[in-house]
Amino acid sequence: MLPTGKSVLRDAVSGQRRLLAGAAFLGSVHQGGEALVPVIVGIVIDQAVSTGSVGALVRWIVVLAVVFGALSMSYRFAARAAERASEQAAHGLRMRLARRVLDPRGGAEAGRLPGALVNIATGDAKRVGVVNTVLPFAVAGFVGLLVSAVSLLRISVPLGLLVLLGTPPLLWLTHLVGKPLERRSSVEQERAAHASGVAADLVSGLRVLKGIGAEAAAVARYRRTSQDSLAATLRAARAHAGHDGAILALTGIFIAVVALVGAHLAANGSITVGELVAAVGLAQFLLGPFQIFAWVNGQLAQGRASAERVASVLAAPPAVTSGSGAPAGNGAGRVRLRGVTHGSLDALDLDVEPGEFLGVVAPDPAAAAHLLDCLGREADPSAGTVELDGVAYTELDPHELRGAVLVAAHDADLFEGSLLDNVVTVSRDVDRALTASAADEVARTLPDGVHTLVAERGRSLSGGQRQRVALARALAADPPVLVVHDPTTAVDAVTEARIAGELREVRQGRTTVLVTTSPALLAVTDRVVVLDGGAVGAQGTHAELVHANPGYRSAVLS
Amino acid sequence: MSERELLPTATGRRTASAVGELLRPRRLLAFSAFGVLTAATGVGLLTAPLLGHIVDLVAEGSTDFTLPVVLLVVVALARGAGNAWGLALVSRLGESMLASLRERFIERALSQPLERVELAGSGDLTSRVTNDVAVIAKSVREALPELGRSALTIVLTLGGLALLDWRFLLAALLAAPIQLYTVRWYVRRAIPLYAHQRVQDGAQQQQLLDTVGGARTVRAFRLTGEHVERVRERSQTVVDVTMRAVRLMTRFFSRLNLAEFVGLSAILVAGFVLVGNGTATIGTATAAALYFHSLFNPINAALALVDDAQSAAASLARLVGVADLPTEREPERPAVPVDASVKAAAVSHAYVAGHDVLRDVDLDITPEERVALVGASGAGKTTLAKLIAGIHRPTSGSLALGGVGLDDLGHAGTRRTVALISQEVHVFAGTLAEDLRLAKPDATDEELRAALEKVGALPWVDALPDGLSTMVGEGAHRLTVTQSQQLALVRLVLADPPIAILDEATAEAGSAGAKVLEKAAARALEGRTGLVVAHRLTQAAAADRIVVLDAGKVVETGTHEELVAANGRYAALWAAWSDQRE
Repeated sequence: MLPTGKSVLRDAVSGQRRLLAGAAFLGSVHQGGEALVPVIVGIVIDQAVSTGSVGALVRWIVVLAVVFGALSMSYRFAARAAERASEQAAHGLRMRLARRVLDPRGGAEAGRLPGALVNIATGDAKRVGVVNTVLPFAVAGFVGLLVSAVSLLRISVPLGLLVLLGTPPLLWLTHLVGKPLERRSSVEQERAAHASGVAADLVSGLRVLKGIGAEAAAVARYRRTSQDSLAATLRAARAHAGHDGAILALTGIFIAVVALVGAHLAANGSITVGELVAAVGLAQFLLGPFQIFAWVNGQLAQGRASAERVASVLAAPPAVTSGSGAPAGNGAGRVRLRGVTHGSLDALDLDVEPGEFLGVVAPDPAAAAHLLDCLGREADPSAGTVELDGVAYTELDPHELRGAVLVAAHDADLFEGSLLDNVVTVSRDVDRALTASAADEVARTLPDGVHTLVAERGRSLSGGQRQRVALARALAADPPVLVVHDPTTAVDAVTEARIAGELREVRQGRTTVLVTTSPALLAVTDRVVVLDGGAVGAQGTHAELVHANPGYRSAVLS
Repeated sequence: MSERELLPTATGRRTASAVGELLRPRRLLAFSAFGVLTAATGVGLLTAPLLGHIVDLVAEGSTDFTLPVVLLVVVALARGAGNAWGLALVSRLGESMLASLRERFIERALSQPLERVELAGSGDLTSRVTNDVAVIAKSVREALPELGRSALTIVLTLGGLALLDWRFLLAALLAAPIQLYTVRWYVRRAIPLYAHQRVQDGAQQQQLLDTVGGARTVRAFRLTGEHVERVRERSQTVVDVTMRAVRLMTRFFSRLNLAEFVGLSAILVAGFVLVGNGTATIGTATAAALYFHSLFNPINAALALVDDAQSAAASLARLVGVADLPTEREPERPAVPVDASVKAAAVSHAYVAGHDVLRDVDLDITPEERVALVGASGAGKTTLAKLIAGIHRPTSGSLALGGVGLDDLGHAGTRRTVALISQEVHVFAGTLAEDLRLAKPDATDEELRAALEKVGALPWVDALPDGLSTMVGEGAHRLTVTQSQQLALVRLVLADPPIAILDEATAEAGSAGAKVLEKAAARALEGRTGLVVAHRLTQAAAADRIVVLDAGKVVETGTHEELVAANGRYAALWAAWSDQRE
């Protein structure tokens, strides 16, 4: 069954039910204790201060100590259990999301930017988890409410009813006052956050700004943004201040009403002075549980919305179907495309012979991308078949297939770790791969050689350095079939020429497909296939095509 | 490569005086904010004695509660209004100070020599402008008003206790040593722990970006298991660190509970004694107990904010450190270039003493000449480009633009004379027009369109959902690498400097994009002296002259035909690019 928002939320809560039950129980003890403190203060006034009884004083101070001890300890462990439940649920969701995104069948990233997916795995997972923090507090708040209700009604039924029935309308009133302000302020705070975004953006474009002498213009622009943001922030701050003030005023008036009714009851002897004190204290305390309910409500709404987003990723349909076969371990590495139609590919027939070093020129970049999608099985063609050593791709498990056919994308990402860590992902003959891709030269210019840490997905390296390391990784994996897309676009001409020669040598006897328009690379291939209109337009050696085919000349040499 | 030399951080004293400087022009605002908030808090404190008075009236057997109750209502209204006003004033004070500071920070940060920023690593500046500003903003927005209000409530309540009877104050103060000790205990642990937590959060975020952003690569290389494990490790660490923080916080509040108990019991005992010997009424004892009970929340709030305040102070020191940096020194009377020529004479450069990246390079470029630099990575192409653009000063030798030495030209003059477009693509967040106007703030829409047309970018710009008004950059419409780099060339056309250096400006685009960019670059360089670091040899072949660099030295120079005929390094590279072969 596909996950839904509801099921995600349900799993997150039920997976932590023991911790939640413990937290709810201890939280209730805490709330009950907090409610008892003003009651005990009232009793001390009544039975000790008014009467001068030392025994009563000592007795009730000891009771106060016990209550404090209990409420303090119960809060401590309730908070820990609730937070643990929340964090563990969020962790569980993060792991499910990571596994879904990395599933060999793909499909989870479709239509989502990496940043958005990461936000779902962090922010949304956390908000779903937070539901576990608030639920025990909701239970505890209810218990606190119950304890104070009973205490109040025991003191006096009319006074108890006044407080209990008066509090919800009071909170509803403050909610009414606050709502439009809150809404306005969140919009404005968003605008305020914009200023910090602009600042970070300008700083990260510093080199570009310096390159064209645009610093002054940038500072002027930032100043405008900063002032706009200041104005928005101040509007939001005024709204908040107004809201706070209104709540203070309303609470104060409510206390005055309780005091008035309580005083009359005390004056005609229905309640004692101490009970009056306790009632006023309880009226103040009661605002707490009701505020907790409002907060819980808000968090639950957020948790539900986040659970929907998490579920939408978990339930994303896979991009390709999964077969169960594995390619033969000693396969020759023959790849055959028959009538492949996918995106801008139109009934493409292509044969790559075992051990061949094939160049593919796709003047239309989309055709190159679609060809790579099909070869790496990121997508299944809408018509036609792709075969590896006579077995259809669809019969193979995509994970197993990728062990035999490696597609090294043009914009391949490097991962956190040293340069060497990135290259030795799969394999053995690292030194040869490093030299062949000229990544050894990259290592020589770095402070710690091959042990230099690569940060920010390789963004700490220049484009050319990154490409060479990525190429070394692909070569080191040494797959039976290697498909490489534009591996040297950011590499200088001198180095590119060197890589071209090495590449051919390293891949000797293994099937290699180079999708590129670089003449230096194409010159060392056995055969070049030119895609035209989604099918094979011309083929031959680089030299033949250069000589005989004007279209090829303009695609490759101009 | 040398050690990172981070940008400066201000000392505690300097930070305090910087705050003073920001505060001085807003003295009046500061005084009124403080005054209004104090008055509002003071009025609020009348609640407890009024309730105490009601208790006394009941004890005396009176039934006329109208006056105290009406006063309670008046107090509530005055307190609410005063708080609203005071908080609004405090926000205005804090926010406008923050705005001034961040503006000065950006102004100084952007005017620093690139060399200085690169020495610190660009992450240093970025983290200050994002994290540190956010930490301070959060404090100003949430902690400052809360802290101010709580502190005032505490001080005034203690004052109120003293007014009731000085012995109540003494009783209440019994809690203070426990609280002071607890705060010290907490802050000492909380600051490093929270810093650690932020680092771990960042590491998790980075790992997820790595894994999710590189999902295709992970699948291709069958690294799924390893990456799931990496995510688990990071995520588990975050859970563990968060739980440590939660344990610390709960222990902190437990200790504060102890202080509450000690103070409350002391007040009750004091009330018992004072009522017993007739120096206080039951009402006064009640008021004292209520006072102290109402202090629980403000005290906890204020103490819990202490670590926020400390991190804000640390962040502030990092902002002030940059805002205090001196600006670049300009020559008294900057010289004016006479033409668009470039002359490098015997230029050598070393980033680390003894390791020359460039050696004795002589290069003369006549006005409007197009020169291509060819060479392997590490041959010194980028260094030469940066030296000519005035970003670094050569270790020895001299550089002149338009016949004027770079020192006489000054920084501002250099940037007006020469532009450097590197392979780094950055599209500024905002509308496309705003991005372009960074290069020429007063450009009309027609000028923008003309510049776009010139580099062949107009067709796709017109095809954007809102044309020139389309929001681009981070979090908005994503442009391709080729489009982004084309924009860099449009900015060059708009900035219109006589000399332009293109450093591998076509490198990041794929091979198809590179061709588009080569054409665009050729158009953008029209009428300028151009130095192009070329990857694709077709770009070199189209130049007026080619200079081949190897290991920091010029090894070949001449026109394309001359170099091909010379049969040297360049000719060997060109072989694959020519159709002369069989």
